[in-house]
Amino acid sequence: MWNLLLKALWETLYMVGASLALSALFGVPLGIVLVITEPRHIRPAPLVHKLLSTIINIGRSLPFIILLVAIIPFTRWVVGTSIGTTGAIVPLTVSAIPFTARVVETALLEIDRGVIEAAQAMGATTGQIITKVMIPEAVPGLILGLTMVAVNLIGYSAMAGAVGGGGLGDLSIRYGYQRFRGDIMLLTVVILVAIVQGLQSCGSWLAARLNRR
Amino acid sequence: MSQVMIELANVTKIYGQGEKRVVALDNVSLKINKGEIFGIIGLSGAGKSTLIRCINKLEVPQSGTITIAGQEITKLKGKELRETRRKIGMIFQHFNLLSSRTVYGNIAFPLEIAGAKRSELKERVLSLIDLVGLSDKISAYPAELSGGQKQRVGIARALANNPEVLLCDEATSALDPETTKSILGLLQDINQRFNLTIVLITHQMNVIKEICDTVAVIEDGRIVEEGPVVELFARPRTPTARRFMKSVLPTEIPAEIKERALRMDDRKRGGKTVRISFIGDVAGEPVISSLIRKFQVDVNIIHANLDYIKNTPFGSLIIDLMGESSKIEAAMEFLKDRGLKLEVLNGVEPTA
Repeated sequence: MWNLLLKALWETLYMVGASLALSALFGVPLGIVLVITEPRHIRPAPLVHKLLSTIINIGRSLPFIILLVAIIPFTRWVVGTSIGTTGAIVPLTVSAIPFTARVVETALLEIDRGVIEAAQAMGATTGQIITKVMIPEAVPGLILGLTMVAVNLIGYSAMAGAVGGGGLGDLSIRYGYQRFRGDIMLLTVVILVAIVQGLQSCGSWLAARLNRR
Repeated sequence: MSQVMIELANVTKIYGQGEKRVVALDNVSLKINKGEIFGIIGLSGAGKSTLIRCINKLEVPQSGTITIAGQEITKLKGKELRETRRKIGMIFQHFNLLSSRTVYGNIAFPLEIAGAKRSELKERVLSLIDLVGLSDKISAYPAELSGGQKQRVGIARALANNPEVLLCDEATSALDPETTKSILGLLQDINQRFNLTIVLITHQMNVIKEICDTVAVIEDGRIVEEGPVVELFARPRTPTARRFMKSVLPTEIPAEIKERALRMDDRKRGGKTVRISFIGDVAGEPVISSLIRKFQVDVNIIHANLDYIKNTPFGSLIIDLMGESSKIEAAMEFLKDRGLKLEVLNGVEPTA
């Protein structure tokens, strides 16, 4: 039983970790573009903004379990397989990217506009404003936001069992629920709660520590 | 002839369209000389903020041109605009410092942007920190600083790339009077030390009075009055200018004195109550003692105030002149000849 649990824990951490990293890789730039293309921001582009916003909304409104199945061909094209833990990372990432983009947008919009304006008045380029002003100023908000994405991914990863992804959620359903192993079900839930608690505490602590405001 | 540093020609800025259309700047033309402190005063909504933001193109006017040191900034874009902006420092009402960077980091920021070398950068930042007197706060974050200290960081940051012009957007409006004085002192100091042209906008007349050489009064997007500050105080032409002036100089005659002057009239004792206003060098002359000696009149000083507009003394004196009426007349002529402004208060109804 402990072997099963350990294996499932590893699968969960792998799925969540990989898809968190990947969704940050795509979601952060998307969130930045979403912000700077707003009217009266540093690179206003109403059309781009509207288009991106609509795509993100569509992405966020798809139920994960449907997305999981719907993008199987895409998943196969990207990682060569549509099943197993690796096969689950693709749909997890795809579903987390729009959410990450929104979370990043919210964090970046919280920055004082005056600071960005001061940088513009100093002759900063768009790139400099993003890397030297917007991101450093938004670090606490970004950390809290990414913590939220990670917690969400843990929840979604439970559904990865549908494509044989494994993980704690899958173990809990197949052994705990379908084979009436109450102890396994309870243990997986306890572990999941502990992971979420730990993650949130770390995120909150780090954000507070880095907050200079 | 002084050299023109900034020239605005027929600048018009309109916000919104249709019913929401607001003319923020209406055909504004101004010339600002090199090395002067130029103040623009107006009530909120008069367009002063838009005006100063047009100078470094944070706002783009619909028409008109703005030229800085011979370069037409209204035409510039991209790289050229950014490079020109590096030569225009700006400080803000709410300081706009990077909260994630220390005092050192904030002052280093404009240098990093301009691509300064690491070794030069450190030296420059340290000398700027010294200039604004924050050597003991070098690793403090903005949240740990007082308003005045934050503005000092703002000033150091604005000076980092050796600008030719410093724009001050209500730089002292969020500060208490004491701190305002020290920040104005610092601005005046750097103006003289680096022959830096300073443009400041404010709604506080004491800021204008304290450090400005030239002032423009803006109202409803139009410059309604412009000239040397001393001139504005001596001869305000518009009601707005007069109102601003009154906010810092007690030009109202106290009601007690008006009443007193009236009673003096009733008693027909002869004699007159006169207000003498003076500006500039005459304040140093022994006018009163000459008056007494030359015309054998008695002088009773009943009210006086003296103030400074930048470095020019400015004030008024209310005196009773007593004696033979012919001598009083002659004494008044004498005062007028000295370039003083005289007002006879007898017969003026007390209004307060």
